[in-house]
Amino acid sequence: MEHQDTPQIITHIEHNLNHSIFDCKWIPCSAKFVVIGCLPNGSGTIEIFEITSGEVNKIKDIERPNSYKCGTFGASSDIERRLATGDFKGTLEIWDLEKTCQVYITKEHSDIINSIDGMGGNTMNCGAPEIVTGSRDGTVKVWDPRQRGKPVANMQPMKGETKRDCWAVAFGNSFNDAERIVVAGYDNGDLKMFDLRTMSLRWECNLRNGVCYVEFDRKDIPMNKLVATTLEGKFHVFDLRTQNPTKGFAQVLDNSTKSGTVWVSRHLPQNRDIFVTCAGNGQASLWKYEYPEQRFHVDGEGVAVGVPGKLKQLQRMVISSQPINALDWNRDHLGLAVATAYDQYVRVLVTTKLNLH
Amino acid sequence: MDKAFEIQKNARDNVKSLQTYLTDLQNWESEMKRKEAALNGNFEQDLPPVRSKTRKERPIQVKKKQPNRISSSDYSSWEKFDVDKACEEVDMAAKGPMSLDSKQSEKEKQDKLREEAQYEKERGNTFVKQEKWDDAISCYNRAIELVKNDAIYYANRGLCYLKKESLHQAEKDCTEALKLDSTYVKALQRRATAREKLGSLRSASADLYEVLKLEPNNVAARKQLETIKARMGTKGSKSKSSPLSTPTLESKSIIPIDSKPKVVEISSVESTPQEKWRTGVGENITVIKTVKKPPHLRSKRALKHITIQEIPLGCTVPKVEAKTIDNLAQGDTNNNSDETKDCALSAKGDNIEINSNEIKSMDKMVPPVNSVQFMNEWKCLKGSVEARSNYLNIIDPTNIPSIFANALESDVLSELLSALYEYKDRYTRGLSLYLQAFTRVKRFSALAMFLADNDKLLVNKMLVHCKTKEGLSDDVINELKNKYEL
Repeated sequence: MEHQDTPQIITHIEHNLNHSIFDCKWIPCSAKFVVIGCLPNGSGTIEIFEITSGEVNKIKDIERPNSYKCGTFGASSDIERRLATGDFKGTLEIWDLEKTCQVYITKEHSDIINSIDGMGGNTMNCGAPEIVTGSRDGTVKVWDPRQRGKPVANMQPMKGETKRDCWAVAFGNSFNDAERIVVAGYDNGDLKMFDLRTMSLRWECNLRNGVCYVEFDRKDIPMNKLVATTLEGKFHVFDLRTQNPTKGFAQVLDNSTKSGTVWVSRHLPQNRDIFVTCAGNGQASLWKYEYPEQRFHVDGEGVAVGVPGKLKQLQRMVISSQPINALDWNRDHLGLAVATAYDQYVRVLVTTKLNLH
Repeated sequence: MDKAFEIQKNARDNVKSLQTYLTDLQNWESEMKRKEAALNGNFEQDLPPVRSKTRKERPIQVKKKQPNRISSSDYSSWEKFDVDKACEEVDMAAKGPMSLDSKQSEKEKQDKLREEAQYEKERGNTFVKQEKWDDAISCYNRAIELVKNDAIYYANRGLCYLKKESLHQAEKDCTEALKLDSTYVKALQRRATAREKLGSLRSASADLYEVLKLEPNNVAARKQLETIKARMGTKGSKSKSSPLSTPTLESKSIIPIDSKPKVVEISSVESTPQEKWRTGVGENITVIKTVKKPPHLRSKRALKHITIQEIPLGCTVPKVEAKTIDNLAQGDTNNNSDETKDCALSAKGDNIEINSNEIKSMDKMVPPVNSVQFMNEWKCLKGSVEARSNYLNIIDPTNIPSIFANALESDVLSELLSALYEYKDRYTRGLSLYLQAFTRVKRFSALAMFLADNDKLLVNKMLVHCKTKEGLSDDVINELKNKYEL
């Protein structure tokens, strides 16, 4: 039953591209976004669009021999606005979009970079600008744009262990210059949390299904919540404030919707307790995490144990006939988002009444 | 029914909210575009360093491209090799690309000079080993030129001079070295040797005592000291009388002691007459020497005019004058001369003038040629009627009209008349001639008109005198009376 305050998810603009698209990102401090994809002949494209009064106009088009998979502006300042991209061959590139040239290029991964995340570009006192990439070659590498050629950290399986395909990476817990955490999700359902300060594995668990996407609710605060989406329409929300030595973090599992793979989940930049999940059936769902009365309790042995909260679905809307593989909220305007799907459409979505929650 | 209405209302609300959202979005788009256009400039950020793992790594060293070494057998390449350029490159690399006038480079410059001086010293030392004293001395000279404050260079040069038996120079160099480093034993020993050879045994032994104080176990010094003592014992009296034997301090040289008796000799030399005159020796005069005083110490009194008289050599000058001059000099040198003394002095000065004028003999006076000369002398003789009459006596009356021309004033005329009258008997040429001469002066008629009554009386009396004594005819007297308007 719809309530009066229920947000509405509406497709504002739909734009058809005649090729596969994998990722989309708003360019910071602008009404423009980039769309990353590949042409049928296998070459990669980076396209820049601008929204003007209900239409999208293509401003720029970059084509390179290798197909791009993912991109981020996270490690770049709002003035430079350099896009870091990962491609199918495992190359990391940083683009100066104004001059249409790479300012950084390195190929340390031997296979496709599935996921990329950036951090520290536009935040003060939250650490160095860094990029993390997860690849099919089983490694997670952390890069500093100031250091050329070599990663500043490299997480790979021990010799003899089978290399799992890393599908998702994300930064978090970067509340000062020293602390920083990388989480990585693998195709076998492993979820690993690496502490970059101590250079150690902080925590790991298995979610039984391949982890498609991970994201902290905020990157630049002491880690609070983590959403990990998996195959078969499930996603987990972890409360990261309390880590129990034996039980780990408290979590909520949602598998109510039989929607297929949950491809992506993104927190609202303006409200960290609201996030959207995009599923294989083209459905976007808006969720709100509701905290419990007490976020932890002390068990019989005197050790704190986290208490999971509850998930409330605010809205759901099928906006695509094919899986939505990427979505990005606009940092500067509440409720504005851009999403790409396998139906080769890029959509500008608007969500109303988000300010009421 | 209610439910349907509610749904309808909800839908309408949703549309409305969407519409407002979309207008908002449009505004936002335009605002964003404006903001983006304004986005430029530098985004300065204080970034933490690259992650810890890489911090441990050694800083990346830019590998210098090694210049291709020329193999020793490659003679053609060595022929092309520019040695000067290579040396310059090495120097520049050592010095760095700093500018020469910066403070740091100043220090480097000093270091470089020091290095060069050290090199010269090494060369000098090798020459010393080969006993080439002159070459060694030139090396040390260069070293001293480069670095002036190193005792070693002086001491080494001193040794060379000592070997060359230039004992005075050797002593001087050792003294220089000891000035820079007073505990430099070698320099002390070398100076002792030099002084011993010069014969100044006492100062040599003093140096050796100094050496033993610094190095009590110095055998060579002890031996030397003993030999010196033995020598002093044998000819102690001789060495005492020797001016060189007095021990000297480090900073003092013995030269002034040597030259003292010479000065006395010079003063006893017979001086020439000119020198005598200059110093005033043998003459009864006080020589005024120039007094040099800074302006602020000088007398504030106005300078007094002193008439300078020519006195031929050997002529004695009246004592009084010398005295006054002495007084004047004193007054000048004395800053705070009081008023009374001043007055007395000036009064004295006036008296002196008169006295001196009185004494002036007739033969010294020269008859004037023109009125200017006459007036000068006449003014000088003011106050002494006798002198004036004497002066008039030497003047030929026939020349009077030409002397005065038309410059005779009435007051001067009255003075002349009174002078004539006072000593009317003295005139060798006759009084009447003077009286007649005055009448022939130009514009005399005008002067006669202004003659005072007592002047006229004087003229009358003089005419009577002329009539009785000189036997002047009545015609002439009448003519004169007419002329003088009596």
